[in-house]
Amino acid sequence: MDSFSSSSKSNHWRRPPAIRQQSAKPLSTAFIGLVLVLWPWRLTAQELIVNESVHNARISQNEARLFFTMRLPLWENNLPVKVFVLPDDHPLHRQFAKNVLGLFPYQLRQVWDRQIFSGTGQAPITVATEQEMIKRVASTPGGIGYVESAPAYSQVRTLEVR
Amino acid sequence: MRHLLLITAFLAMLGPTSAHAEGSESIWDGLQVHGFASQAAIWTSDNRFFGNSPETSFAFTEIGLNASLPINPRILLSGQLLARRAGDMYDGTPELDYGLADITLASSNEQRWGVRVGRVKNPLGIYNETRDVPFTRPGIFLPQVIYYDKIRNLALSTDGLMFYGESYIDQGALSLTLGGGQPVIDDNVGWTFLRNNYDGEFQTDNKTGLVQLWYSTPGERFKFGLSGIMLSLRFDPGQHSPLRSGTTDIFYWIASIQYDTEDWTLSAEYLREPLAWGDYGPFFPNFKTTVEGYYLQGTYRIRPNIELLMRYEEGFANRNDRDGVRFSTRTGGLFPPFAGFSKIWTAGLRWDINRQWMVRAEYQRHHGTFVLSFRENPDLGQLREYWNLFAVQAAFRF
Repeated sequence: MDSFSSSSKSNHWRRPPAIRQQSAKPLSTAFIGLVLVLWPWRLTAQELIVNESVHNARISQNEARLFFTMRLPLWENNLPVKVFVLPDDHPLHRQFAKNVLGLFPYQLRQVWDRQIFSGTGQAPITVATEQEMIKRVASTPGGIGYVESAPAYSQVRTLEVR
Repeated sequence: MRHLLLITAFLAMLGPTSAHAEGSESIWDGLQVHGFASQAAIWTSDNRFFGNSPETSFAFTEIGLNASLPINPRILLSGQLLARRAGDMYDGTPELDYGLADITLASSNEQRWGVRVGRVKNPLGIYNETRDVPFTRPGIFLPQVIYYDKIRNLALSTDGLMFYGESYIDQGALSLTLGGGQPVIDDNVGWTFLRNNYDGEFQTDNKTGLVQLWYSTPGERFKFGLSGIMLSLRFDPGQHSPLRSGTTDIFYWIASIQYDTEDWTLSAEYLREPLAWGDYGPFFPNFKTTVEGYYLQGTYRIRPNIELLMRYEEGFANRNDRDGVRFSTRTGGLFPPFAGFSKIWTAGLRWDINRQWMVRAEYQRHHGTFVLSFRENPDLGQLREYWNLFAVQAAFRF
């Protein structure tokens, strides 16, 4: 559960280079934790993906937040927005929320729960794996999601967030 | 059992949420069904809180089931049934918690304007909209000096209209809600505002208005909110009522602040509620008071699924008589002074076992009995000034 205390080997999405792992070996676990905390996450990619029907060339971080907090119902070409996410405790979800959206995963959960349980909005569609995420975004017009690295699907493309 | 059947029937009617063939375009594809259930066990050293707590009460159960359906990208229909058993205050009869159409009138990438029509939860303070959903609360009980459970329905929801506007720019998000309509009231209103269940009925004048304003910084690190509701209750006395047809004017407003970091969330809220009773006759003289309450709360996530809670709160029946002595004297000692205030320390632990299940434990140290329900504690002579509470809760969601 806790990404900082688990070994960096199993956290393949972070891909720390081998040299970093070797140098950390003789050091205390506290130091490994520190390295992981300070590690520049942005070197490891989390890409925002959309269905090919979406024509935007790029979106701002502000807009990305609004899509994933379910506050924007339509794309610029009037296609309904369909948001796909991985489970709250999925490592890729947590990295995407923090690095791309600039939100903590628990904040996303709070926003969704408030909407779900007050009837003022809906929750995004949760998929189990990154593979399923790509498939669903590929097959859903207006679909938006995220992956670790750009997929080779023709119906899906990455969208720059800045 | 009857409630369970009703809910099962409702669920069966709606069908499964995600069993849809790909490619078939139907408005039902957007249907979402969610629900929750919780059960608590409560023990208090003295005084009754959510049932017969001195001998361990299990009379705190929450069951909710909701459905939402976007009939197009701009119109969302939603409704929730809530069965809530809370000691002697609520018996668990299922009620329509909300049932509304949320209509987006205009939206762009920076703004959204819309209206909600129907029974809408009142967006008061940080927690009111989802106060009965255990997963959205910081503890088993919300801070009682602001989110009273002795009289929750008055501020819970409105049958009417709520207009909202939201603006999202790089400097942060601003949202405004304006609402009006009829508040949903119940027996607890009489017990709380007249301290008895007199023969008669409460009705609302058409003077109910709600306003809410929130500002949050980018990334929602800081949030500031102001919200308030104004309403007027008229008492229609029955044949045997010693009271006349009086009115109670209520203005309930909350200032809120919240700060989020990865591990910490700090929250503080301040409530003020000026109340005025008039024309109830000689047995209930005209009276004015201003209720006040505030709390400071910290939650700390040891791990993403384990959270600690610490909170201190104070609440007063009359902010100009915080020790309750003046009111006690006026009632000839019938009301003990400590019934006019509550000062509460809370420590709690939350564990989200998986995506569906959560368990909690909570300890509270109370000084004063202001937050207690007269309905649960009709004999004022039995009240104890200092008391302890320990509670555990298990909750499920889908």
